[in-house]
Amino acid sequence: MPTAKELESSMKPTWCPGCGNFGMFRALKEAIEELAIPAEELAMVWGIGCHGNGADFYNVQGFHGLHGRALPVATGLALTRPDLKVIVEMGDGDGYGIGGNHFIHSVRRNIDMTAIFHNNQIYGLTTGQASPTSDQFMRTPSTPGGVVEEPVNPVGVAVAQGATFVARAFAGDIPHLKEIYKRAIMHEGFSVVDVYQPCVTWNKMNTFSWFRDRVYKIEELPDYDPTDRTKAFDLSMSTFHELTCAPDECKIPIGVFFEEPESFTYQDGLPQLDRPMWKHAEKPRDISATIAAFGG
Amino acid sequence: MPQAPTELRVRIGGEAGFGIKAAGQMLARSFVDAGLETFDLTEYPSLIRGGHNNYLLRVSAEPVYSHVEPVDVLICLNRETLDLHHRELVDGGAVIFDPADFPAEEVPARLQAVAVPLTDIARDAGGKIMRNTVALGALLGIVGFPLTYLGDSLHKQFAKKAPEIAENNVAAAQAGCDAAVAACPDFFVRLAPIEGAPRRILVDGNEAVGMGALAAGVGFYAAYPMTPASSILHFMAAHEREYGVVVKHTEDEIAAMNMVVGAAFGGTRAMTASAGGGFALMVEAFGMAGASESAVVVGVLTRPGPATGLPTWTEQSDLRYVIHAAQGEFPRVVLAPGDREDAFELTWKAFNLADQLQTPVVILGDSYLSDNRQSTPAYDLSKVVIDRGKLVTEGEVPAEAKGADGRYLRYKVTEDGVSVRALPGVHGANQLGNSYEHDEYGFGSAGEPAEVRIAQNEKRMRKLNLARTLVPPPALFGAPPDEADVGLLFFGTTKGPAREAARMLEREGVKAALMQVVTVFPFPAEEVAAFLGAVPKSLLVEGNFTGQLEGLVRQECLLPVENTLHRYDGRPFTPEQIVARVKEVL
Repeated sequence: MPTAKELESSMKPTWCPGCGNFGMFRALKEAIEELAIPAEELAMVWGIGCHGNGADFYNVQGFHGLHGRALPVATGLALTRPDLKVIVEMGDGDGYGIGGNHFIHSVRRNIDMTAIFHNNQIYGLTTGQASPTSDQFMRTPSTPGGVVEEPVNPVGVAVAQGATFVARAFAGDIPHLKEIYKRAIMHEGFSVVDVYQPCVTWNKMNTFSWFRDRVYKIEELPDYDPTDRTKAFDLSMSTFHELTCAPDECKIPIGVFFEEPESFTYQDGLPQLDRPMWKHAEKPRDISATIAAFGG
Repeated sequence: MPQAPTELRVRIGGEAGFGIKAAGQMLARSFVDAGLETFDLTEYPSLIRGGHNNYLLRVSAEPVYSHVEPVDVLICLNRETLDLHHRELVDGGAVIFDPADFPAEEVPARLQAVAVPLTDIARDAGGKIMRNTVALGALLGIVGFPLTYLGDSLHKQFAKKAPEIAENNVAAAQAGCDAAVAACPDFFVRLAPIEGAPRRILVDGNEAVGMGALAAGVGFYAAYPMTPASSILHFMAAHEREYGVVVKHTEDEIAAMNMVVGAAFGGTRAMTASAGGGFALMVEAFGMAGASESAVVVGVLTRPGPATGLPTWTEQSDLRYVIHAAQGEFPRVVLAPGDREDAFELTWKAFNLADQLQTPVVILGDSYLSDNRQSTPAYDLSKVVIDRGKLVTEGEVPAEAKGADGRYLRYKVTEDGVSVRALPGVHGANQLGNSYEHDEYGFGSAGEPAEVRIAQNEKRMRKLNLARTLVPPPALFGAPPDEADVGLLFFGTTKGPAREAARMLEREGVKAALMQVVTVFPFPAEEVAAFLGAVPKSLLVEGNFTGQLEGLVRQECLLPVENTLHRYDGRPFTPEQIVARVKEVL
């Protein structure tokens, strides 16, 4: 069972100094160590973006796929290898923009795996264009007049689409993030973790201090029930914020919005998934009954 | 002139939604059960109700490779069928029709009008819905074929419903038979069961592909519906539980291809399929399979394009597209089955090639393969072998796959370009499958130095040399090339019409040699050049406008192409069309 140190590859992280990805990297390594997941039972998949450069920095069984397509690669793996615990990392443009279709369908499938979204509200690797979660009216090289549309509300979408575990975290609070990761990884079903991960190079608005002034922990709310989907949706709607809002005008909840501990996962619907699917190709399959059905 | 009386060509026409294909396939099944050979062709518009559907069935005592143009019997389930198809009938051919639809006088005098009150008989037997069955009984009546085989098919068909439905249908067929025999007692085609004939299966190309994948041990099939590939998804899903396969109808083809790569990363034999349009959405991930050296099988069952094109018709215009699909360069194999025997064999072989080469392998077919059923020798499972190449599924990463530091090198540079593939779960198999260029470990940021890029690129491309030693060679049919009057060169489903054309030419004293390019990529330049050099005259036959195979011959063999025959109207070649062109060439 790898320690956090052993989960680091020989490659040195190349994220910008101060990048929120460092906090996410540390929190996930520590979560995996504390959960004592054997190296042979862990698989990670990444999309393309600054988050995806992290693929090189982990020493795991991993796959670095295409921009926006991490979820289907992870799905193919999770639906054929019941012996693996699959963790997927994506960005906001990657997971909510180009890969948005896969996001919605992965949520409704409730595949037992963990989806982590590095949400910096900007395209980092392609030098600072607006992302699907950029605040309305934000000026970027691709939106010099300001973003016209409303940002995607990933927590709200996930809750509305029937996700069985939905959390939001902040990369500036590593102990809190690590605990959310642990719950998400242990959750049986599709776990959505949206992590605000400030981009220190391109996003000058949603900075660490901007978030520190606004985030509060859901678990500190009196009487909050994370098994109440309607309340979770209401809470997700309280999080829309604009560049101009003052710290006391928009508070951003972080923590577990919703959790359905006992749910019907996609894997539960596949009784044939009783072994790694590669075992079917150990010898030719006897399909003589099927051939006979065609007259043979 | 009517053909040999042991062959029957029948067309059934009517409105979409009449169940014409189902009725036709039941008829085909009855003949195959009786030891005869069949080939069918279904033509239908892209809608569910209304519009004209028709089903063409050719039945013979000899193996049949394709449909042919003339028709002996036309079954009109509506008036429109007569108008659209009566010209195809040979002189003396029979028109089976319901006099409630049109009067007998409208049947041209050169034909035999066989009036059978289809609707009335069906209603008397228990319901108008049995009209098709009445017509099938009428057909069997005029060719003197026993109704017992159709009766067995009906019993099988309705076994799950109610026995009385089968009985009512048998009665309807018998009444149709009696009425037709009375109206047409001495039709020139007579068919009889063949005792002791070898067992044949009646399959379409998609079923053949599905069975090939199952036999090869496929563990994951993901797809999004698109004509003509959809029925592979149906076939796989229908057998999902029986054989323990995971079958996923995905949100789009992008997801399907990416899921297949993910499944292959886990070591599962994985496949997707679509038409050219769906493949367009897969292309980026198809390239990723090349970059990440993923063993995947992709079916591309083509139809006329561009864009939505003609969804339910056929064409061979995606050859170049499939060969070149995706940005960058990487090795791939493209196999083009010509019939339902090829489709089974090439599919299971595709999985071996994908594993041996750790790269994507395409099965390139078309609607003419996918949609139509052909009697085919029952698949011999004892011939199926599984070769997974340099795959380690359990235990430890072997020493030869480790670097000097003792860590696993997923993309180790090797002489043949193939690296040991240790699956996730194998001890020490931490690795990074990567869509980025990468070093031997798989690290993307380490893939940028020029020497690393060159080493990995050359390593991958070397697999193409290995592929040339593994892929199926071109197939030869007909006369030996050095004894032939003409050589026909083609790929894919043109095989059937070409083989029939060779047969027709032989009857006229013309010897034709045939070469089917089975592996279209990597292109078998030496064999094709030798063939073209051996035949006195050649004709290249392909179902597209621009001459895509022709271009490959020029490019790869550095040879001129003398004569060509193209078709791009959505219809498959007919043997008659090929024969006519050969006569021009000679």
